[in-house]
Amino acid sequence: MSLGEIGAILLFLVVVFIFGHLWFRFIETILRRMKKLFTRHQKPPAWHTLPPDEEDRKNV
Amino acid sequence: MGFFSKLFKGPEIDMEKSNANAKKMRTLFNHVVKDGDNYRLIFGYTEDVSRFNYGFVHGSKTKIGNLIVGWNEASQTIVVVPTVPDLSGCGDPTYYRRSEILKAYRNKYPTDAFIIYPDKKGYIGINAYDWLEDEKLYVYVSQDDELAAFTDFFMNRFATK
Repeated sequence: MSLGEIGAILLFLVVVFIFGHLWFRFIETILRRMKKLFTRHQKPPAWHTLPPDEEDRKNV
Repeated sequence: MGFFSKLFKGPEIDMEKSNANAKKMRTLFNHVVKDGDNYRLIFGYTEDVSRFNYGFVHGSKTKIGNLIVGWNEASQTIVVVPTVPDLSGCGDPTYYRRSEILKAYRNKYPTDAFIIYPDKKGYIGINAYDWLEDEKLYVYVSQDDELAAFTDFFMNRFATK
């Protein structure tokens, strides 16, 4: 097998790899948007941010 | 200390960072749990593995959820608070009282997670280790003693079989 042929096979594999990644991202985006559409009326789960430290409060 | 002895010694724990995170875990836990100081704490995480098949692209995805796990020996209660690796915030706590749960046991395969079934509908699998290096995925905290104490509590006073 010549170097050119090996290069062509490697290039083909790279193209398949990149297309696979793009396809994965594309489907994931569609699924995420569909999920958002169906769950937009749901209340988001409660989230509590880290309260400031006592020492930080004194320094302010 | 030479380069090779350092290499063979493996990664070293930054105790300053670990202690700061342990303090943050306590602050967050006490912020959302009443009488939080009555609970001892460890860091744990859940793993949600799902398979996908998008035509010619298929594989599996793993979602990791960080948890602050508190336990009270006297009341035989485990409290689980969801959080994020940088401990910037947390969600609402979930209480698992031994008298109210369906069953609890320690898994053996594929991981030695602590499994709690609050009812027949669902379960939680808590994975816990003495230290996990990857700060992007897990809370950076060293917890050898706390993990040993939690394991002892879970196996001897909380597990149902």
